[in-house]
Amino acid sequence: MEDNKRYPELRKQLSPGWWTANRHYAMYMVREWTSLFVALYSLIFIYGLSLWAMGSRADFLNFLKNPAVVGFSLIALVFTMYHAATWFYLLGAISPVKIGRSRTKPWQALVLNLILLVIVSYLAIWLLVLR
Amino acid sequence: MSQNIATIRVTRYRPEKDLKPYFQEYKVPYRQDMVVLDALNYIKAEIDGSLTYRWSCRMGVCGSCGANIDGEPKLTCASFLHDFKGRTITVEPMTNFPVIKDLVVDMEDFMEKLVKIKPWIIREKETPPEQGEYKQSAQELERYSQFSSCINCMLCYAACPIYGLNEKFLGPAATALAYRYIEDSRDQGKDVRFPIVHEMEGVWECTLVGECSVVCPKGVDPMLAIQKTKILGATNALKSLLMPRGGR
Repeated sequence: MEDNKRYPELRKQLSPGWWTANRHYAMYMVREWTSLFVALYSLIFIYGLSLWAMGSRADFLNFLKNPAVVGFSLIALVFTMYHAATWFYLLGAISPVKIGRSRTKPWQALVLNLILLVIVSYLAIWLLVLR
Repeated sequence: MSQNIATIRVTRYRPEKDLKPYFQEYKVPYRQDMVVLDALNYIKAEIDGSLTYRWSCRMGVCGSCGANIDGEPKLTCASFLHDFKGRTITVEPMTNFPVIKDLVVDMEDFMEKLVKIKPWIIREKETPPEQGEYKQSAQELERYSQFSSCINCMLCYAACPIYGLNEKFLGPAATALAYRYIEDSRDQGKDVRFPIVHEMEGVWECTLVGECSVVCPKGVDPMLAIQKTKILGATNALKSLLMPRGGR
């Protein structure tokens, strides 16, 4: 075969700001970045548990009552909910359930999973706190 | 009927002359039914014969005329000029591909990937034609039919940042086609294709950006095919772990 690459080809590198090019990319980045809050919250919670393990339950609860921890937890809750919702939606997009002749829509998976999340969360709170 | 004028900014890059690509602006008179490809053809015929781009069918079937129009990967034959009324239309070569000249990109990488996934029906043993065709029900056809609509226009690769970062990534269209054969009831090549789609740069590289499915001009959902392939691979691995002898 003849060499058809006589001149060097031009290849554009993806710039660090590629995700600002359109709304979908930006939303993808928001989805990925919100997971950071999930990870940070986990670390904080593990630290709290270590206080309990090495000290007492009161230490753990006092740490959780710290206004900074409460504030961060609230922010983390919002971002975690958003992160979870995006994946519930994607779950519906990837695995639609066939009912009769039609298929379920992604938003239906989102709603159903959010309801399940509320039920499971309530059960967990009931088991651990309210009972 | 009065004619409108469209302003089109096209990437020019002639490797033998230019060190860097640059934009050239053209004014194109247009009618209501004209698309960006018509404008490019007008430029080539009437203004500047050196403008280079690929095209063939001009009706969304051949998949040759893809370009980035105002930053979005689109078929130039399916983008009407009147949709951009009053704005300058920027036409650039598809992102993530090496540029050979002007709007023409190097397709070699995609062509290799296309062959790699073996886009044909694999049988353990071919039956002679006299025995008739391999039959398939409408339900079986429905499992893969949308993925067989791919026209290899590569817009999904231009839209995929993962491919932009790692050109070894098998990518949307090739995986969608692999899945099309994996899901085909007549095909028996699962064991051949699975290792290809599940290797390091196969489906697991995908982080679900989803833009491939947004830009597809034929309504194919490569994102879905990639995730389905992941599910198949994971369940297959689990099965062979639990039932090493009969697990498939």
